[in-house]
Amino acid sequence: MLMTGEQYIESLRKLNTRVYMFGKKIENWVDDPIIRPSINCVKVTYDLAQDPEYADLMTVKSSLTGETINRFAHLHQSTEDLKNKVKMQRLCGQKTAGCFQRCVGMDAFNATFSTTYEIDQKYGTKYHENFVNFLKMVQEKDLVVDGAMTDPKGNRGKRPSQQVDPDLFLRIKERREDGIVVRGAKCHQTGSINSHWHIVMPTQAMTEEDKEYAVAFACPSDAEGMFMVYGRQSCDTRKLEEGADIDLGNAQFGGQEALVVFDDVFIPNEYIFMAGEYDFAGMLVERFAGYHRQSYGGCKVGVGDVLIGAAALAAEYNGAHKASHIKDKLIEMTHLNETLYCCGIACSTEGYPTAAGNYQIDLLLANVCKQNITRFPYEIVRLAEDIGGGLMVTMPSEVDFKSDLKVGKNGETIGDFCQKFFVGNEAACDTEARQRIMRLLENICLGAAAVGYRTESMHGAGSPQAQRIMIQRQGNIEGKKELAKAIAGIK
Amino acid sequence: MKCGIKFCGGCNPRYDRGAACREIKKTLENDNIEFMNATEEEVFDNLLVIGGCSACCASHSQYTVNDEIFKMWEKDHINKIVELLRRKS
Repeated sequence: MLMTGEQYIESLRKLNTRVYMFGKKIENWVDDPIIRPSINCVKVTYDLAQDPEYADLMTVKSSLTGETINRFAHLHQSTEDLKNKVKMQRLCGQKTAGCFQRCVGMDAFNATFSTTYEIDQKYGTKYHENFVNFLKMVQEKDLVVDGAMTDPKGNRGKRPSQQVDPDLFLRIKERREDGIVVRGAKCHQTGSINSHWHIVMPTQAMTEEDKEYAVAFACPSDAEGMFMVYGRQSCDTRKLEEGADIDLGNAQFGGQEALVVFDDVFIPNEYIFMAGEYDFAGMLVERFAGYHRQSYGGCKVGVGDVLIGAAALAAEYNGAHKASHIKDKLIEMTHLNETLYCCGIACSTEGYPTAAGNYQIDLLLANVCKQNITRFPYEIVRLAEDIGGGLMVTMPSEVDFKSDLKVGKNGETIGDFCQKFFVGNEAACDTEARQRIMRLLENICLGAAAVGYRTESMHGAGSPQAQRIMIQRQGNIEGKKELAKAIAGIK
Repeated sequence: MKCGIKFCGGCNPRYDRGAACREIKKTLENDNIEFMNATEEEVFDNLLVIGGCSACCASHSQYTVNDEIFKMWEKDHINKIVELLRRKS
């Protein structure tokens, strides 16, 4: 049953999720001005599913139940499904100019579905059945699930079992007849607070010594012993200021990351998807990362669409839009953005069925996609800042623009002076429109949304070196040498 | 004539699909055509698929359509679609 956006927000109020921010427990986190824009972002994934203009991408028939579900809860059944995932993400990026947070769950579903199937084949476990039952519940209730992978990792030179503090990687602390008790944490968790459930996965390939760290499971976000510490974002406290609607740049939407702590959380057997099968930890990580590297070829492109539009408007509002170099920069931004989209579509088109039956992306092309994502948004931002001009970071506050404090010799107010001196192309816009577009540029390029558009592009779904390792593994250099030898006549 | 309307998902439309749909409906408001969003429960005489780009990738095989399926993927197609639908009304 598809939820409406409003029903989603009301469903969050029923949870007992424990959220801490600025050293305090946030009781009503759903309406907190810092958190709410990130909830609004997730809400868009529900709203668009109800809209006939977007339903073709946002909804799909479940492969498990035959019912119409939100695509964010879907198991990909074809390369067409993989492409539609990327298209849906671009759409959501366009509508929010931020991170809509629901992709990690979708990528966790698909990676866990196929990996649990293969674990069961080898060990005769029941993880796949556990997972399918869990996913049916998620699809039926139209829930948001956080896919939690990244551990704190402590000393990067040591394996999980070698750390001074054994909790720096999430682990099985105790095994019981009816389940396991887990301890540890997951970092950088996008949308964790806005999720009904979490799927927890190992953060890397494991060895036999790290067996107790090879653990995957699902748990409700308000499970006993679980809590979140909210991550700060650039300019976050602007959301607390009175009369700063324009200064926010994007007052309605935003992203969210948190540290999720598991302080001895009990996980019943029915929600366990891996518990010690260390030889499958790498498979789960690789598959999840592959999907998530594909995801960025959609979501970041959608945000890029908004940024390109903002830069074009800034040029128009500045009266510089007819200059050939401005036009050329907008072309370059578009070229870079569409190149990223090409990568997302390409790795989807070359997807293949797993043993479990759902579709996996082409790993080489997905890693190339993400590697480009670590670079191109930075260049797109550089060009946007070039076009926008310095005003996007030097402009007085909204309060100054509206100030009636008289300071001029003829009784002019601070507001009068701001309105007078920040006028642009008067034929194209008023001063407030110029203010708004400059603040949107600031928001995406170096404000709160830069968390998602820049640094997340760098490190989300794995830092650049992680993709380079995969590109090296998949790149078949030996095959290329043989090609060169054949052409050069070398035997 | 009962005509179903199916939009593509709108990931990167090159024109305003909603506005195009409204224009088609308005132009044909005096013709005998009942437009409605396509559903699997209804049987349609014709189906109009409104794509945002030349891929025109909207799924439509799930709908029951007795006569023809018309597709458009750019603004310039509006007049042609109006003409085709009018012939069916």
